[in-house]
Amino acid sequence: MPVVHEHSERMKKFKNKGKDTAALRRQRVEVNIELRKAKKDEQILKRRSISIVSLEKSPSPAEEKNTIAPLSLEEIVEAVNGSNTSLQLQATQAARRILSRQKDPPLNQIIELGIIPRLVEFLSRTDNATLQFEAAWALTNIASGTSEHTRAVVEGGAIPAFISLLSSPHMHISEQSVWALGNIAGDGPLYRDALINCNVIPPLLALVSPVTPVGFLRNITWTLSNLCRNKNPYPPLQAVRQLLPVITCLLEHKDKDIVSDSCWAVSYLTDGSNDRIQIVVDTGILPRLVELMGSPEMIIMTPALRAIGNVVTGTDEQTQAAIDAGVLPVLPLLLRHTKPAIQKEAAWALSNIAAGPCQQIQQLITCGLLQPLVELLDKGDFKAQKEAVWAVANLTTGGTVEQVVELVQSGVLKPLLNLLLAKDSKTILVILDSISNLFLAAEKLGETERLCLLVEELDGLEKIEALQTHDNNMVYRAALNIIEKYFSGEVRELLLLLI
Amino acid sequence: MFVTDCRREFYDVIVSQRVLLLVASDVDALCACKILQALFQCDHVQYTLVPVSGWQELETAFLEHKDQFKYFVFINCGANVDLLEILQPEEDTYFFVCDSHRPINVVNVYNETQVKLLVKQGDDLDVPAYDDIFRDEEDEEELSEDESDGSEPSDKRRRFEEEVIERTARRRQRREWEARRREILFDYEQYEYHGTSSAMVMFDLAWIMSKDLNDMLWWAIVGLTDQWVQDKITQMKYVTDIGVLQRHVSRHNHRNEDEENSLSIDCMRIAFEYDLRLALYQHWSLYESLCNTSYTSANLKLWSVQGQKRLQEFLADMGLPLKQVKQKFNSMDMSLKENLREMIEESANKFGMKDLRVQTFSIHFGFKNKFLASDIVYATASLMESIEKEGPETTNFIKALDSLSRGNLDKLHQGLDLAKKQLCAIQQTVASCICTNLVISQGPFLYCSLMEGMPDVKLFSKPVSLCLLSKYLLKSFVCSTKNKRCKLLPLIMAAPMDVEQGTVIMVGIPPETESSDKKNFFGRAFEKAADSTNSRTLHNHFDMSIIELKTEDRSKFLDALISLLS
Repeated sequence: MPVVHEHSERMKKFKNKGKDTAALRRQRVEVNIELRKAKKDEQILKRRSISIVSLEKSPSPAEEKNTIAPLSLEEIVEAVNGSNTSLQLQATQAARRILSRQKDPPLNQIIELGIIPRLVEFLSRTDNATLQFEAAWALTNIASGTSEHTRAVVEGGAIPAFISLLSSPHMHISEQSVWALGNIAGDGPLYRDALINCNVIPPLLALVSPVTPVGFLRNITWTLSNLCRNKNPYPPLQAVRQLLPVITCLLEHKDKDIVSDSCWAVSYLTDGSNDRIQIVVDTGILPRLVELMGSPEMIIMTPALRAIGNVVTGTDEQTQAAIDAGVLPVLPLLLRHTKPAIQKEAAWALSNIAAGPCQQIQQLITCGLLQPLVELLDKGDFKAQKEAVWAVANLTTGGTVEQVVELVQSGVLKPLLNLLLAKDSKTILVILDSISNLFLAAEKLGETERLCLLVEELDGLEKIEALQTHDNNMVYRAALNIIEKYFSGEVRELLLLLI
Repeated sequence: MFVTDCRREFYDVIVSQRVLLLVASDVDALCACKILQALFQCDHVQYTLVPVSGWQELETAFLEHKDQFKYFVFINCGANVDLLEILQPEEDTYFFVCDSHRPINVVNVYNETQVKLLVKQGDDLDVPAYDDIFRDEEDEEELSEDESDGSEPSDKRRRFEEEVIERTARRRQRREWEARRREILFDYEQYEYHGTSSAMVMFDLAWIMSKDLNDMLWWAIVGLTDQWVQDKITQMKYVTDIGVLQRHVSRHNHRNEDEENSLSIDCMRIAFEYDLRLALYQHWSLYESLCNTSYTSANLKLWSVQGQKRLQEFLADMGLPLKQVKQKFNSMDMSLKENLREMIEESANKFGMKDLRVQTFSIHFGFKNKFLASDIVYATASLMESIEKEGPETTNFIKALDSLSRGNLDKLHQGLDLAKKQLCAIQQTVASCICTNLVISQGPFLYCSLMEGMPDVKLFSKPVSLCLLSKYLLKSFVCSTKNKRCKLLPLIMAAPMDVEQGTVIMVGIPPETESSDKKNFFGRAFEKAADSTNSRTLHNHFDMSIIELKTEDRSKFLDALISLLS
């Protein structure tokens, strides 16, 4: 019998497909397949790390193709400074190629050649579009480096040259100029304002039209966003007023990259004092931003959320405008988002809305935000939890007694008390503050004892007592304060009496 | 990865560990195993030996032992498949692979951590370059990553060389690269062949560590001779390796070189010989050996009356009386034996057998025991595939392994007897296949199928015996056929394997030509044919050109093979 059995076992292993032994084995070890895949990838990674050196040495075929007759740096200098137009072009092209290779472009070396002023000169050679283009590209790439590199380009006189090239009849040249100007604007407020003072905005905005190709428009949008970017100082209000209508238009575009960069522009503009927020609110784009906040595309959702988050840091009216635009129903989704960064940003916005008057708090409650808030406190990413704690504190500070009761009924106490175990003193202080606020509300209702029991039941008293030994003096005092006020004297006596 | 310093990266690593030895069922593997065992014995290494006859057994053995062992040594198995893929070892498990099967799987070659290949340095491997077959997937990752996260846009951006054009160019490049990769891998994996004998690799290790003994050297010789007898390597490779071993032989055996009286009961002496390639002739009669050696039998066409006549003429030419020739070689007249090799060679030349003598080695031990390396190979191989069932599956393996030790003369003699039976059976089967025209040309290859009920057919359900038969048959067929085209064809041979289950064992061998590179494309072809016809095949053997197949699927499988190779 065992022999027969052995045979049938053996026959089972005859597979219908003759492919290879591996296919046969898959049956037996099915469960582990996923695991093995992962392991194999890892092994490939390991292999990869070993051979990386040899990989780097050999240039890619594409690079090889492009450097058929590479010029030396000396040859480039000579030709660029020479008077032979075709050699100038050849050398500029060579420089551009060196600057656009993937790995370690020699920015410093090129700058040290001292050819930037010549390249800037070439920008105005309207008789030779190819030369203009190559020079523009080369300068773009130099300006893409560190501040030093960008400065070399600006000091070579590139700003006016590029601005006038914006209106070049050749689209690829004007696009390249947009790109270069974007790099200069992105360097910081100084060059940004230098550009604005050179009147970059009108010709730039003139490029935006319904027929502008998407790729070009992306570059324009990005450059516009860089003109809105950076503080200390903020971009001039006049410039912002010029830019906003076009940005508002771009927010409606179909292309997600354009929408994303427009959102970022708005987020920069709202990241400031209330009067700057007001300018944005006045354009009426908040409903669109709220809509974009719910986009499935991370690259759109993130900046839209940030912009709205900035708006609700503003005045009560500005916050109300955001609420009116429908921000509250969108927030639960974002509070429950898988990405911690989104959770955090959403909780931050929520905390700012909770800091408003009780009508706004009521709207917040009505829109069902307490539940996701409690969930976030319970299970969220720690940074998001910290923001959520702030939301609770703000709500307990500004909310009516009824609103606070509603918060407690949503189950906020348990996760809130659990967070007392956090390492961060600031967070602990905010929680203790919130607890004090809860007790104040309880006092008004005559429910202090009930709250005491609730806190004890949830092991909160234990945690608060433990905080009396906390290193941070403020924490210690806040904890002591709560205990003396609500958990000493009468309550204890009462408990003793019961025993 | 390839081990460059066998001692440091292999032996020193395992010497302090518990080791599992997985040894394939071929004579070279046994010899390599013997050498390693001897080393292990010197250094008190704890090891467990598990014979494995195919991938299934290999895998089972691994699964059974993977919890107790972290260090595995594979002998003559494992190199030509992706071991990590089929065995899924834990990360702290290490595979040391000493295997003559080629081509070596590229993942085994380029895995830097767990798979260590013990391969003779200088072996021509032609492994594709890493960059030609592995490629980082960063390009795609970059693109998709950019899109998924919502981080702030960069404040400055560099414009790269023709971004859009480059992206499509990159995509095109990638497609081209993939096509090229397929081509490279196809070229690399297309042919199966064998590299330096594992026994020789192990002997090298022993030698490097100055732990080589004459016994080990003999096993290395037998390992190499096995490759030659099984026709696994080219004549060129054989002669080169013989040269390598000859240096070791003179180093180990120079002491008694010119002393006639050096024989003693425990002496052991290895000598280089330019001897007759007549199978087992010193333990048989010259006549029987002539009849049952493939070389002489094929060249003289002994299956025909004509051929038998030629044999008589041949013997007459040498001036050897039939009576002498037919009695045991040991009992032949000393006077006849004196210049026997030269005499036979001279006559053989006249009969078109120019290569009747080959470079080989002999071993003497005790007073009367003398063997040629090929004697040992035949004996050991026969023991391993003995069909006389006794005890568990591993009995044959252990017996064969033991027969390699000097102390086990009785087993060796038992093996010699079996080998003679095997050679006779092969010769008779070859004769009957040729006489009844069982070898048919299928176009791209010759095909011969043994029928159930033929004498000795059971013997040929074993892979090594079937391969040997195939090779002898092809040689004889090439000598017998007048069709010039057929002389250049490879041969596929099938034999009943398990009647109850209705399966056949099938082996494909490369063409029998003077300049044959011994490379075999049937492994891949079998896989493809099985794949395209959904034939029920089992690719279990370490040689991919040996498969098991359901008898009912045979015709569609062959049809697919014909159209594939035409």
